Amino acid sequence: MKAFAYVNARSQAEALAALSTASRGRIVPLAGGMDLVGLMKDYIVQPDVVVNVKALPADITVPPQGQAVIGAAARLADVAAHEGLAKAYPAMAEAAGSVGTPQIRNLGTVGGNLMQRPRCWYFRNEEFHCLKKGGARCFAVDGENQYHAIFGDGPCHIVHPSTLAVPLIAYGGRVRVAGPEGEREIEADRFFVMPDRNMFGETVLEPNELVTGILLPPLRNTLSATYEVKFKQSHDWPIASAAVALRMNGAVVESARVVLGYVAPIPWRSQAAEQVLRGKRIDEAVAWQAAEAALADAKPMSENGYKVQVAKTALRRAIMKATGAQVV
Amino acid sequence: MRQVPEVAAPARPDRHERYPWPDEPVLLSKRIPRLDGPAKVTGAAKYSYDIRRPGQLWGRILRSPHPHARIVLIDLTEAEKAPGVKAVLAIAEPGKKVMYQGEEVAAVAAITEEQAEDALRLIKVKYETLPHLATEADAMREGAPLVFKDGNVREGDAEEAGDLEAGFKAAAHVVEATYSTQVQTHVSLETHGCVCEWDGDNLTAWVSTQAVHGTREGFAQALGIPQANVRVITEYMGGGFGSKFGPDVQGIVCAKLAKLAGAPVHLMLDRKEEHLATGNRPSSTSKIRAGVSADGMLTAFDAETWGTGGAGAGSGFPLPYIYVFPNRRRRHKDVFINAGPQRAMRAPGHPQGCFATEMLMDELADAVKMDPVEFRLKNLPPEAPNAMWRRYFPIAAERFGWSRRHPTGDPTPGPIKRGMGCAANRWGGGGQGTQAHCEINPDGSVIIRCGTQDIGVGTKTIVAMVAAETLGLPLEAVKAEIGDSRYPFSGGSGGSTTAPAVTPAIRVTAGKALDELKARIAPVLGVDASTLVASNGRIHVQGDPSKGLTWKEACRHLGTQPIAVDGRWERGLSASGTSGVQFAEVEVDIETGVTKVTRITCVQDCGLVVDQLTAESQCIGGIIMGVNYALYEHRLLDRNTGLMVNPNMEFYLLAGTSDIPEIDVMLMNQPERGVIGIGEPPTISTAAAIANAVANAIGTRVRSLPLTPDKVLAALAEREKAGGTL
Amino acid sequence: MAHEDDRDDGLNVSRRTFLKTVGASSLAAGVIAPGEVEAQGPAPVGPGETAIQLTIDGTVHRLRVEPRVTLLDAMRTRLGLTGQKRVCDRGSCGACTVIVDGRTIYACSVLAIEMDGKSIRTVEGLARGTVLHPVQQAFCDHDGLMCGFCTPGFVMSAVALLESNPSPTPEQARAALDGNICRCGTYPRVLEAVLNTKGVSRG
Repeated sequence: MKAFAYVNARSQAEALAALSTASRGRIVPLAGGMDLVGLMKDYIVQPDVVVNVKALPADITVPPQGQAVIGAAARLADVAAHEGLAKAYPAMAEAAGSVGTPQIRNLGTVGGNLMQRPRCWYFRNEEFHCLKKGGARCFAVDGENQYHAIFGDGPCHIVHPSTLAVPLIAYGGRVRVAGPEGEREIEADRFFVMPDRNMFGETVLEPNELVTGILLPPLRNTLSATYEVKFKQSHDWPIASAAVALRMNGAVVESARVVLGYVAPIPWRSQAAEQVLRGKRIDEAVAWQAAEAALADAKPMSENGYKVQVAKTALRRAIMKATGAQVV
Repeated sequence: MRQVPEVAAPARPDRHERYPWPDEPVLLSKRIPRLDGPAKVTGAAKYSYDIRRPGQLWGRILRSPHPHARIVLIDLTEAEKAPGVKAVLAIAEPGKKVMYQGEEVAAVAAITEEQAEDALRLIKVKYETLPHLATEADAMREGAPLVFKDGNVREGDAEEAGDLEAGFKAAAHVVEATYSTQVQTHVSLETHGCVCEWDGDNLTAWVSTQAVHGTREGFAQALGIPQANVRVITEYMGGGFGSKFGPDVQGIVCAKLAKLAGAPVHLMLDRKEEHLATGNRPSSTSKIRAGVSADGMLTAFDAETWGTGGAGAGSGFPLPYIYVFPNRRRRHKDVFINAGPQRAMRAPGHPQGCFATEMLMDELADAVKMDPVEFRLKNLPPEAPNAMWRRYFPIAAERFGWSRRHPTGDPTPGPIKRGMGCAANRWGGGGQGTQAHCEINPDGSVIIRCGTQDIGVGTKTIVAMVAAETLGLPLEAVKAEIGDSRYPFSGGSGGSTTAPAVTPAIRVTAGKALDELKARIAPVLGVDASTLVASNGRIHVQGDPSKGLTWKEACRHLGTQPIAVDGRWERGLSASGTSGVQFAEVEVDIETGVTKVTRITCVQDCGLVVDQLTAESQCIGGIIMGVNYALYEHRLLDRNTGLMVNPNMEFYLLAGTSDIPEIDVMLMNQPERGVIGIGEPPTISTAAAIANAVANAIGTRVRSLPLTPDKVLAALAEREKAGGTL
Repeated sequence: MAHEDDRDDGLNVSRRTFLKTVGASSLAAGVIAPGEVEAQGPAPVGPGETAIQLTIDGTVHRLRVEPRVTLLDAMRTRLGLTGQKRVCDRGSCGACTVIVDGRTIYACSVLAIEMDGKSIRTVEGLARGTVLHPVQQAFCDHDGLMCGFCTPGFVMSAVALLESNPSPTPEQARAALDGNICRCGTYPRVLEAVLNTKGVSRG
C-alpha cells in the first residue's frame, strides 16, 4: 500500500470539505474500509489523502408512514437486524444480511456497499491494465469470463458488486448525495451508470461528493423479495440475484419492479419482465414467462452462458418468494 | 524440490521383541486432546511468522510479473537509497529467463515492512517478454512455441500388463470417457518463510517447515557452511500439506539479506506469492477406454493421460487405481506450461488417479446394470492387511445407508436431486530412521526429545503419549520437545511417514531409559531388574504393585546421575499400507447447478491408532480438503496472458463452515500391525465419491473437477439435448 | 509494476457523466480554477508516522504509525501482539478477527489510525492466568484446532457469538463462523466446541 495522509472527518461537513481540498492530490473517502483497504493494498487505488467518513449519518428510520431513510454510515449488520426495516422492506434487510461474512457486515456500510468497486479479477490484479484502469482492452472478452456480465455489450464487462443496490432499485429507492453545493437525491436506477458513461467509476457520484443515505418510498400493497444464487453458502459472491417489488391490486399485479444482480455492469432492471407481470395473477407459469422475458436479450460470453439459466432461476424464485411461496 | 516418498515396509511386521506395543494400553488408542491446544487457543503459540528478534528487519521479494521473459536489466540503486532499507539483492541476473509469474527476481530488507514494500517498487527491472504457454492445450498444440528446451511435452514410458486385445475381445461393454482434474494449490494458512539470524558464522532460522533437519541441510548446502553451524527451529507451524520441505529460495534469500544487513530478517510470503510460487497439485486428464464382461468382471483398460506440473515439473499419478484390470496399458506425458512448478501435495497423484478410476467404475457398473458397491467387490484385489476394501465397503455401506440409493438419476420431482457415491483409497504410510533422546531426572521429570516437527497433525502429542505409556506415567509427567534441528534426527513430515517413523523411536528410546531406571533401582528393591514393570506412576514387581516405589521415589535413587539415553526407530512397531473407503451424499440444484455435499462416511485404517481423537481429526480434515477439491478449488490462469486471476482467498474458493457436510469417521484399529500414517489417505477418495454422487443425483456425469455450477448445468443441457430426462 | 495515473481520466470522464445526468446546478464543485481560493477541509495527518492510542485487551498502547498501517499490522509488527494471524490479508479468511464494540471485524481491513482511542479484544485477552476462557477450553476438549493458525480468529468469532447468544442453534453457529476459513478442516469440531461451550456471559 502506498503511503497516504489521513483526515478523520468529525462531521459530514468536515468530510465534504476534506474531499473538496483538491490541491492535496487524490482524495478518497473511507467508510468501513472493506473495499478500499484491499484496493490500496493491491495498488489499484493509490490516493494521496484518505478521508474517514464514518461520521456520516448512520441512523435507520422506518416511520409507519412516509419514506424510510438509512444513513450511509449504517452498518450492514444493523440494517440486516433492523426489525422495522425487515417488516417493511424485507428484501433490503435480507440483502444486507447476505453480504459477505459477519465480519464484513460489521464493518461494511450502506454507502460503501453502493460505492464499492467491481470484483472483476482483471480489475483487481495489478498486472492487468484493463479499461477501468485506463488500459486499451477488457481482458474478460476472450478470457476467464465465468463471473462476468451477460448484459450490456461492454466495452467493459464487469458485474456490479453491490448487493443492496438490487433491492434498492426494486423498491424504487433513491440515493441521497451531498456535495459542496448541498444535497440532492438521485433515483437509484439512475445512480449507477454503464461503462460507456463512466469507465472509472460505476455511478454518477462526483469525486467531491458523498453518498449520505438511501431513501425507500412508502409501499402499499407491495409484495417483495430477493433471491441470490451462491455456489458456496459460507462466503461467496452471488452468481446471479434478483429482487422484485410487486404492487398488488387484490391478487393481480398492478405494477412490478424487477432487478437482476451480478449480470451487468449495473444492477439490471428488466422492464420486459415487469411488463409480463403487470396485470397477472402470479403463479409458476407467469414467473417462468417473466424470467424468460428478462433474459431474452442476454448476450453471454464464452464461459458465462450458465449465468443466463442461473439468473432465470433467481428471478423465478424471487417472484414466487414474494408471493409467500416456499422456494428452494 | 525434495519430496518424501512412500516408504516400502512390510504390511504386517513381526512383533518387536523387546518393546512391543502394549496389549492393554492406558493412553494409546484413547481420545487424547492435543497438548499444544492451550498455547494455540490463547495465541501464545509463536509460529515462525510470529517470531520477533531484537533489531529485526522485514524482507520482501520482487517477483516476475510475466509468465516467460528474459531479464535484461535489474537496477537496484533507487531501492538502495530508499528510507529504511538495509539490504537489497538481486536473485536473478540479467540474461536469466523467468519461467513463470512469481519467479523470484530481487529482494529487500528494511526497518519496516511498509518500507520494504516501497523499496521493492523502486527496483527497476527490464524484461524482454517471450512467448508463453498458459494451458496444456497451448503446450501440446502443433506449432506451439518451444518454451522448454527439451520440448513442451515429455513422453513417459507405457505401462502394460496382460493382453489388451484379448481383454477388449472379452468385453461385453466398452466405455470410453475423458476425466480431468484441475490444479490445486496448498493454501497453507501460514505462508512459506522464515526469520534468519546470524551469530558470526552460525545461522539460526525459524522456518515454517515440514522438515527441520532437511531444511538445515538445505541452508548449509546453499550457503556453503557446515550443517553444524545451522540451527532450524519450528515450534509451531501453520500447515504445509507437502509444500514445505526446505529453505526454498525465500529462505536462502532471507539468510543472505540478514548477513548483508547484519541484522535478523523476517521474510514471510504473502498470499499471492504463496499461490504463484510455492507449489501445487498438478492437473490431470485421463482419456480412457475400458471393457467389462457381461458378468461384471473388468477385462481391459487403455488410457492416455497427461497433466501439467507447471514449468518443467512432472505430473504423474497412479492409474488405474486399486481395481484389478487384468489387461491394461497406460501412457502418460508431462506437459509443461509457464506456471509455478508443482510440489508434493497431500497424497501426490492419488486423488487424480482415484477420481478417473472411480468415475469409470461407476460408468462400467451402469453398463452392466450392477450396484456400484457390488461391482467394486467383484473387482477388488484379494484381501490383505493393507488391502481391506472387501471388508470396508460393506461396513461403510451399512453405516451410510447405501441401500436407500436410487439408480442413476434421482426420480423425485423438484429441482433438488439427491445422490450417493463411493470410492476407495490406498496409501503407503510407512516410515523409518527417526532418532530420539530421553532423560529421566532425579526429581522424576522426564524429557523426550526428537527432531521431528508438528505441522498441525498432533505429532508432539503422540510423542508424549508414547513416552508416557512406555514409562507408565500420566501424559503431563512427560515433557516432549520437538521442532529443533539440535534434537536427534527425524525425517520430513510428509507422505504420512511421521507417526510410523517417530513413535517406534520414542517407544524404543523411552523403553531403554526405563530399562536403565529399573537396573538402577532393582538393587534398592532387592529384586532382579527383569521382574520390574512401570505402570500407574509406579515401578514395581510385575503382578505385585505393592512391591515397588512411586516414580518419584524411584527417580530419587538416581542421585546426581540422571538417565540420558538415545534410541532410534526399530522394526516391528510400524508398518506400511492403509486402505479405506468413503461414501458421499449430495444435493444438486438442477436449476442453478449448485452442488452441496450433505454427508460423508469414512471407514479408514492406519494400523495401530495412536490417538483416536486426533486421528479422527486427520480424517475429517482430509475429507474437507477433498470437498474443496471436488467443488471449489481451482488455480485459474488467464488463458491469454498466463497470469493467475485468483491468487487470493476470495476467488480461490475454499469451503467455510456452512459448506461442510456431516462427517462420520470410523477408524478401523489394527493394533497388530503397528503404527501407520494417516495424513494422506482420507483426502484421496472424497472428490471421486462426491463426483459419483452428483452423477447419481442428476443422471448424467460431470467428468471434470471442480464440479462448478457451469459444468453441472452444461452436463444437464447436453443430456436434455440427447433426449434424456430425469 | 505501477501503472500510470488513471485517476485524471476518471475525473474527466465522470465530469462529463455528471453534466449529462444531473445538470449544471452543482457544477462548481470539485474543480478549482487557478487563483480561486480553496475551502480548506480539516488538516490531514501523515503520510508519516502519527501518534495513536489503542487499548488492546485492556492495556493502553501509545504508538506511532503511518496512516497506511492496518490494525493487524500495528498489533503484530509494532506491538508484538501476534495472537491474531495474517493469512489472506484481504478480509476473506478471518484469521485476524478481533472484537471491537462487541462485534467481530477483520483487523487486516481497518487502519490502525481509524481505531485510535478504541478498545480492541484479541485472543490473547481471553484467558485469566492459566484458566482458559470457556470457548478456548471447549476448542481444546473437542479438538477444534489442528495447525492452529486459523484458531485465534475462530475463537474470537465464537466468543462474539456466544456473548450475544449463549445458546445458538447449529444454523446460527454456522452463520457466525462463516467469515473464517480453516485449511486443516477443523470445522465440524469447531462447531461441536461452540455448541458445547457453557458459561459464557453476555457481553
